[in-house]
Amino acid sequence: MTRWLRTAGSFGLTFVLVMTVTFIALEALPGDAASLRAGFDGGSGRDAAVREALNLDRPWPERYVAWWSGLLQGDLGVSLREDRPVASIVLERLPVTAALAGLAFVFSTTAGVLLGAWAAFRAGSGIDRGVRAFTAVGLAMPEFWFGFLLLLLFAVEFAWLPLFGLPPGGGVWATLQHLLLPAVTLAVPRAARQARVVRALVLESRREAWLRTAVSKGAGTGRLRRQAVLAALPGALPLLALDLGGLLTGTIVVEQVFGLPGLGALLIGGISARDVPVVQGVTLLAVGVFLVVNLMSDLLQQALDPRLRDA
Amino acid sequence: MQPRVLRLTLTFILAFTLTAWTSAERLTLVTDAQPDTLDPHVTSATSAFQHTKSFYDTLVEVGRDGSIQPLLATDWSVSDDGLTWRFELTEASFHDGTTFDASDVVATIQRLQADATGSPKASEYAVIEAVVAVGERTVEMQLAAPAPALLATLASGWSAILPSEKIASDHDFANEPVGTGAFTLERWTRDSDMRLAANPAYFLGAPNIEGVTVRYVGDSALQLQALRTGEAHVATAIATADLPVVEADGNLRLVREPSGLALVASLNTRRPYLDDPRVRRALNLAVDEQTVLNVAYGGGTPIGTFMEAGSPWTPADVMPFGQDLNEARALLDEAGVPDDWTLDMALPQPYESHITAGQVVQDMLGDVGIDVNVRVVEWGVWLSEVYGGPRDFDVTVIGHTGKLDPTGRLDGYGQPSENYVGFGDSDVAEWLAEGRSNADPEVRQAVYGDVLRRMHAAPPFVYFGTPDRTYAVRAEVDGFWMTPLLDSFDFREVSLN
Repeated sequence: MTRWLRTAGSFGLTFVLVMTVTFIALEALPGDAASLRAGFDGGSGRDAAVREALNLDRPWPERYVAWWSGLLQGDLGVSLREDRPVASIVLERLPVTAALAGLAFVFSTTAGVLLGAWAAFRAGSGIDRGVRAFTAVGLAMPEFWFGFLLLLLFAVEFAWLPLFGLPPGGGVWATLQHLLLPAVTLAVPRAARQARVVRALVLESRREAWLRTAVSKGAGTGRLRRQAVLAALPGALPLLALDLGGLLTGTIVVEQVFGLPGLGALLIGGISARDVPVVQGVTLLAVGVFLVVNLMSDLLQQALDPRLRDA
Repeated sequence: MQPRVLRLTLTFILAFTLTAWTSAERLTLVTDAQPDTLDPHVTSATSAFQHTKSFYDTLVEVGRDGSIQPLLATDWSVSDDGLTWRFELTEASFHDGTTFDASDVVATIQRLQADATGSPKASEYAVIEAVVAVGERTVEMQLAAPAPALLATLASGWSAILPSEKIASDHDFANEPVGTGAFTLERWTRDSDMRLAANPAYFLGAPNIEGVTVRYVGDSALQLQALRTGEAHVATAIATADLPVVEADGNLRLVREPSGLALVASLNTRRPYLDDPRVRRALNLAVDEQTVLNVAYGGGTPIGTFMEAGSPWTPADVMPFGQDLNEARALLDEAGVPDDWTLDMALPQPYESHITAGQVVQDMLGDVGIDVNVRVVEWGVWLSEVYGGPRDFDVTVIGHTGKLDPTGRLDGYGQPSENYVGFGDSDVAEWLAEGRSNADPEVRQAVYGDVLRRMHAAPPFVYFGTPDRTYAVRAEVDGFWMTPLLDSFDFREVSLN
């Protein structure tokens, strides 16, 4: 029980800290939503009128407190750029990012676990070296660069896949076509990291006593391999959780490259428009998802691996 | 395991090699600038009017030749004293099904004039004392003084007619436009795309296409690729380096038209030495405007005063400065400019071409011994610190958009406090007041000529010129055009073959 309270407490503290830092960072940036909305008419004093209408003439601590009191009542506020509730804007963008992150996670986990296990079973072979080369390259490639490379190759040179964007209401097929390259872009570095960890974990589990016992009792190779991978998986969970939780932030760059209208694009647009409530709303969601996923992985790991329960 | 993985991978790739998602009946346009709002009465952004043109109509509009043509008003007349304007209205209906009539014109003008609306263009309607619905299809405007620029105002995007019922109920036009226009809004995802659907009940006849998708893509290389792969039909930003690519591609058509822009390096005349007209002339003489236009803006026509190239308002004797380094050095010496004079140049972040132009100018000023410190600032900062607020800059680079009447561009340059460069004196203020209220075309021509001569002799800008409006269209697209001077997209006659 105290352990639970400690975990909840540290999560709460992290959350408050992130939201506060985001707010203050946005306040510290020069320019505000009012001057951007007034545009060329700002010079004639229109920015002052807009600033008043948006409550931006109030001191920032007051607006900061107002944001928290709104949040406690379940209100994310109104966008300074769009004059619409932040909650509905975020909900409009969420499906794009969720689909992209989900697809990327499926790709990276499948590829990461398979490649890692494969390399571990053939440790020292050409396959192992190949997988290790892939992990090194995969981890070193910056996402924006790799994304552009994929675009150039598959959307421009071969013109097999669409160049950018996402057709609204385009059906599952069209959506998949548009999400394939960005999902691969996101998946490659994550798959590389996972392959590396899974390889190490499987190698380790192969050395354990229970496996040697199973071998001496005459278990088949296929079954042994399955057992070794299954035993290694709980160890990979924290990394998987970190990846899943971090995918939301990973989509920021990739959504820019592929022109996808998700939360990442909303965040970037929100920052350049100095739209504080929108940036806070997206950040809140990102931090929330990250914390919840990590908490769940914690619990899942304990459930799957009895050895951790005493700790 | 190996062959199976390979087979799977191949199947997967093949499955996705079907052609990209396109729809034959929709036009897709890629452009770099999205609107700030779709409420035409609260903005002055060109990008906003580029889009609102499709949702709303104005009483009159600018035709392809630049002349003012009937739209919602079929006919109009002005009384002899120039104080009463009478408009006869067409039959049309709004997207919400209500009928367009004189009361909508009355409500629209009153909304534009109301303080609560906060229209940046409110001053253009201040001269209207009363708007009266004389009949269902006739409306009269009573003016306090003759206003020769009124028709130009009514033809501009900010005079879009809104339905009176929706105005009364304080409708959110910014997100849900309701007008008489040829298209309705389907969806607008900020920073991504906007989808328009054809309005089958449009009073000039339903559009030929089902709808339009406007995509916001900042990168011109990506725009070009989308155009070449057929994912887009029109691309509005073609980089200078890509012009030959477009010209060589048989599927594409390159359109070059004069734009309404006046590109300038703005000089803060409140600053030491820049307050001396001789120094500002010297800066103009130090810069080779044609090179700036070629390098940064893909070519264009040089200008010598604050009006777009080819404008009938520019007096014949006002010519571009051209480059004369010796004359420039002589003027700088005469004005006593010290050898270590350093200028602070603030360039606006999202605009690659302005940043390039600034760097070219920095280089050219170096040749006459002037150091320039270049700093690139974000658009929000440019608006609040350079263009507005403390006006913290010596030099900046920007384009001033076209206006249908010289009042639109020049008003505000009579008073130093009313413009960012600090230009103006009592002469200019007097000329501008005369031009605003004198209906005699010859008098207007003369006074605006005086203003533009003064803006040449004591230039508050280093004038570059007017760039061509360069955009590329796929060969299958017919009937797409952009309004002269205002640069609005017109999709009403578009068809795809």
